[in-house]
Amino acid sequence: MTFRDMIDISLGNLRRMKLRAFLTISGVVIAIGAFVAMLSFGAGNYRYVSDQYEEFGLFTTMIVYPNDNKESDSTNATLLDRDALEKLGKIPGVRLAYPFDEFEVTVTVGDSLITSKARSLSPEVIKTKLFSNLMAGAYFHSDSSNETVVTSSILNELGYENGEDIVGKVMVLSVKAPSLDSALINIIVQEGEPIVERLREIRFDSLFNTEYRRKIMEREFNEGIKRFIQGFMNHQITISDTLTITGVLETTGGRRIRSTGVIIPEETARRLSHGSFGVGSDPTGLFAAMKSGHLFSFGEDENYESYPQVTLDIDPYINYEIIKDSVESFGYRTFSFAEQFKEIQRFFMYYNLGLAVVGLIALVTASLGIVNTMVMSIIERRKEIGILKSLGAYEGEIKRLFLMESAVIGAIGATVGILVGWVVSRIGSAILKYIMREQGVPVFEPFALPLWLIVLAFSFGVLIALLAGSYPASRAARVDPVEALRGE
Amino acid sequence: MSDIILRTASLCRHYRRGIHEIRAVDDINLQIESGEFVAVVGASGSGKSTLLNLLAGLDSPTAGKVTYRNKILNELSRRELATYRAEKVGMIFQSFNLLQHQSALKNVELALYFNHIPRNDREKRAKDILIRLGLEDRIEHKPADLSGGEQQRVAIARALVKKPELLFADEPTGNLDRENSEAIAEILKELNGEGLTVVIVTHDTELAGRIAGRTVRMHYGKIAGGESG
Repeated sequence: MTFRDMIDISLGNLRRMKLRAFLTISGVVIAIGAFVAMLSFGAGNYRYVSDQYEEFGLFTTMIVYPNDNKESDSTNATLLDRDALEKLGKIPGVRLAYPFDEFEVTVTVGDSLITSKARSLSPEVIKTKLFSNLMAGAYFHSDSSNETVVTSSILNELGYENGEDIVGKVMVLSVKAPSLDSALINIIVQEGEPIVERLREIRFDSLFNTEYRRKIMEREFNEGIKRFIQGFMNHQITISDTLTITGVLETTGGRRIRSTGVIIPEETARRLSHGSFGVGSDPTGLFAAMKSGHLFSFGEDENYESYPQVTLDIDPYINYEIIKDSVESFGYRTFSFAEQFKEIQRFFMYYNLGLAVVGLIALVTASLGIVNTMVMSIIERRKEIGILKSLGAYEGEIKRLFLMESAVIGAIGATVGILVGWVVSRIGSAILKYIMREQGVPVFEPFALPLWLIVLAFSFGVLIALLAGSYPASRAARVDPVEALRGE
Repeated sequence: MSDIILRTASLCRHYRRGIHEIRAVDDINLQIESGEFVAVVGASGSGKSTLLNLLAGLDSPTAGKVTYRNKILNELSRRELATYRAEKVGMIFQSFNLLQHQSALKNVELALYFNHIPRNDREKRAKDILIRLGLEDRIEHKPADLSGGEQQRVAIARALVKKPELLFADEPTGNLDRENSEAIAEILKELNGEGLTVVIVTHDTELAGRIAGRTVRMHYGKIAGGESG
């Protein structure tokens, strides 16, 4: 008996018992439909996250941080400065290494004045995937050009709705740069209380007392540090530059640049952010410089800079773990999106597994319907089995024939179930997208029906049906033809 | 020199029903020659149908053996036994045993499913044999739409379509009126005339005597006597 013969016979038998077959198949349809709808939700979410990672080049991005661990052997080795940047850039597999040095700016375009954050990027960095979502205009042309790219996050604040409208406009960018002078002056003359006043309070004859002397030293030292930082933070000079807006970057979903409003070339940024001092306005820069001993060596090393973090653009064909090990061997901490994605993958695996278990419970319930249908079928078709055996069918063929009937039930149920699951997912998608729009969150497709899910659902449907049919099929194969033909 | 196609040696088929042992077939030694027409007669419960099932390889003996040419049937595997039934044996039953949901053509074709006959050939062979048995107008009819005689002719067609060496008929006229019985008897006689070995089980001794070359009488599982027709 050929495979096609078995399918013909199975379909013929299912046609004979239409209602029973319909009810049995319906059970499989509902189970597979639920299975597909649930897993397609997991698949849709996974795809969204994965696409985001891919779109923004996160799989090829690694963030490097200085190591704050006090047990570290070498203090200098853990800082992220220009030397470190060069060192990191030379690691095999690292295509680019660039610092993250975001700073506060005041942006004036036409009549609009807002405060935002700016960061500097070289022309080659801004062309990486991480910043590839240019919605209007073009990138700036060189490292020192008086050009800027704004992000869509500040578009509305500046009074523009379309990115195209702001391209070509002139922006005045102002930055408050910290001054070492103002920090030092603040130690001597703090507002309202010059140092002379404080000195008057000291009883010099008591300085011979060790305890009094320690207290005075401690108080004045702490006060001095406090005044220095206050002076650094509050008494800053304003530096302005006029830039032409060349393009607009879309920030929706672009997690790494969501806080940045303005992107400027590196040299331009250096002019602005370090106009009068060797460290940036960011307190971390100050502390890093203090820690490294470079705070007062500005004159000796004009190029000294320290960054809170460095971003590496890595070769996707080189295992990120190898690069990670190389970076960490220098004493830095790393954060890899690829590594984070592994965690996300693990989460989705458990998530999908949970959904699959729920779907499988429904499928197991449906399989009981198949067992019932097939057992009933065998009882009713004992004589037919006897006839087939008298015609020369052997036990294996009878077993395969009944297994085929189960498989056909599973296959029809799975096929229709996949369609039902797809319809349910479309309805669910429409509802969720409506909710997303209503709540003003970025709208994405929360369901997906990838090929693997179709294959998995179909295979499960047929497999469960085969398992359900195996006992009745074995029973059918064991039917005694003499008894079956006699018992009419 | 005689060509023995089937031979039984001390063939037994005993059943246990509770504490009772039923000796349906008990120590039967029988030889059937190729091309012979043998009728097994006897009262109901004499064991003639059981003997037929043993000869057809549908049942297994509890003792003794059935030999088809040089093969001992009860030593064959289940699959080999199924092949014996599929290729060498045709069977006809009193109640026709047709699949009620299938057409006459499909019922006949079904016998070729287990013979590795290509699909295209199956339909042609089934049609040919149905036409030969005078059922050309009944090919697409379902058994319920056919008379008893027509159903039995479909059953004969099903048995013959695979060109067996042995035709076993268990009370083939038992459910038929006299006219149809005569027609079926004629067909069987004609087939035997063409060289087919036929073994028929019947309680109709008159029919057996008229169409069979040899009659074997059974009584309580044993051969009570034999006579040539």
